Amino acid sequence: MTEVSCILRLARNDFSYFFRTKWLMAVLLSLHLSDMLVVAYTYANFMSLDYFKFFVPAIVIMGLFVAALDTGRRIWLAFREGVIQYYLSLPISVSGIVLAYLLAGGAAALVYSTSLLLIALVVLPAQAIWSILVLMPFLFILAMGLAGISASLAAVASTHGEYFFAYQSIVQLLLLTLSTVYYPIETVQKYLPASVISLVSANPLSQAAEAMRDFAFAGNPIQGSVLLSILLASVPFTAIGAVSYVSALRQVQKKGKL
Amino acid sequence: MRDVLRLVWFDLKQELRPPVWIMTEWLVFTVQLFIYGALITQLVVSSKIANYQEFYAIGFVVMMTFDVGSHTGRHFVEHAHEGLLPYWLSLPISRTKLFLAITLQGGTELALMLAVPLTVTLVMIGNLTVLSIFAAICALFCLGFGVAGLMLGLSFIAFKSSDFYTAIVTGLSTVIIRFSTVLYPLIFLPVGYRSVAQLSPLTYGSDLIRLIIGFDPSLMIYNPAIAVAVLAALAVGTLGLGVFLLQRLVEGVKSG
Repeated sequence: MTEVSCILRLARNDFSYFFRTKWLMAVLLSLHLSDMLVVAYTYANFMSLDYFKFFVPAIVIMGLFVAALDTGRRIWLAFREGVIQYYLSLPISVSGIVLAYLLAGGAAALVYSTSLLLIALVVLPAQAIWSILVLMPFLFILAMGLAGISASLAAVASTHGEYFFAYQSIVQLLLLTLSTVYYPIETVQKYLPASVISLVSANPLSQAAEAMRDFAFAGNPIQGSVLLSILLASVPFTAIGAVSYVSALRQVQKKGKL
Repeated sequence: MRDVLRLVWFDLKQELRPPVWIMTEWLVFTVQLFIYGALITQLVVSSKIANYQEFYAIGFVVMMTFDVGSHTGRHFVEHAHEGLLPYWLSLPISRTKLFLAITLQGGTELALMLAVPLTVTLVMIGNLTVLSIFAAICALFCLGFGVAGLMLGLSFIAFKSSDFYTAIVTGLSTVIIRFSTVLYPLIFLPVGYRSVAQLSPLTYGSDLIRLIIGFDPSLMIYNPAIAVAVLAALAVGTLGLGVFLLQRLVEGVKSG
């Protein structure tokens, strides 16, 4: 069996594990569907902007983000349960294992967010379906970047579950609140200091949420610069995640544990 | 009582050394209130909500209470499946004392968790009396015990399938929060959702606390006496169910 087919098999195994985790599916679906069909709908009744139209496209990106972050939980579980020792005994390189996890994380997040997108399209008609198809590969790379962040957290936390979940919820909180997922950039500009505003603008979640709103749902023509920004913001995260996961695996190979 | 306290400490010390969970929750509360709450308040235009950030702060404290209550129930099930339940049942203490220990641990966790968020919220709102603070704390604890009892009551499902229990409980938690007045007043909920919100215990808890703290009573649709009755009935009813389950159903439950 070639290295590529081993990587694909491992990725498929991890991909299916994500969708077979019943409690996780229950949490994610109830969270995002209730955000879409209850919170967005209700907020629209007392806000200055059409919050339903504003928030529904962003929920698709939130789904992508949260599903991608789950990659870290699966990596942490593999460390804790010792499954990682089994992976290291497979005829596959360390970087192959890392690539398999990042591919699976990106694919699972993309499939999950696509299911949210299909529901979003029912409740909020999109102006440019074609733009969604163009956005998809960029969302996949973004999801791999987010899975990379999560992988680094799992590598840093090692087998300490309480630290991993603490790091994960802090990162999730900061990336979501310091983005334009929940509120427009004009609101952020009025309230937060200039240095934080640049962080909010550079946040890949802000860029993806804006792209989804403007290009897919509002029907504005796609701008290459925005797609390039999503790429530039995602690739470093993927690289950092891959490097930290590789070094964690090398440590396990050398010492037998983290 | 010493046995009960020893049992409480035995379990609690694992969560306090180090208190990562509590510190994380405090940080989450701070960021949610002073960034998300403050920014989303800028978008609120309805004159019926004088200050959405304060409204949201109370809602967030209620959500935390719900989380801790539900964690107490889930924790019991996790312990059962990790094999700790047979050990507890073999201890020379009565089932009532064991239940008291579980409840007391939940109460202590709730007090620790809410210490900072509730203080920040009350200071931010200001203009409060000792009586209103005391009443708000009582309402929160009543809600916390009610939710913990509810989750313990549902734990019989877990003895059939742990996965199914976790899926139901976690999914249900999100829906209970969204279909309630935790994040928005009932008058703003779409008409079709209002009847569902009226079934959520969080609607009664958050409305009652807001009324005690001094929010506009027109945002609340119930007579406060009804909210007090619902919360008390929830706490007593579900905790009673928990005692019953612990006395009758947990014997012989297989772990793993």
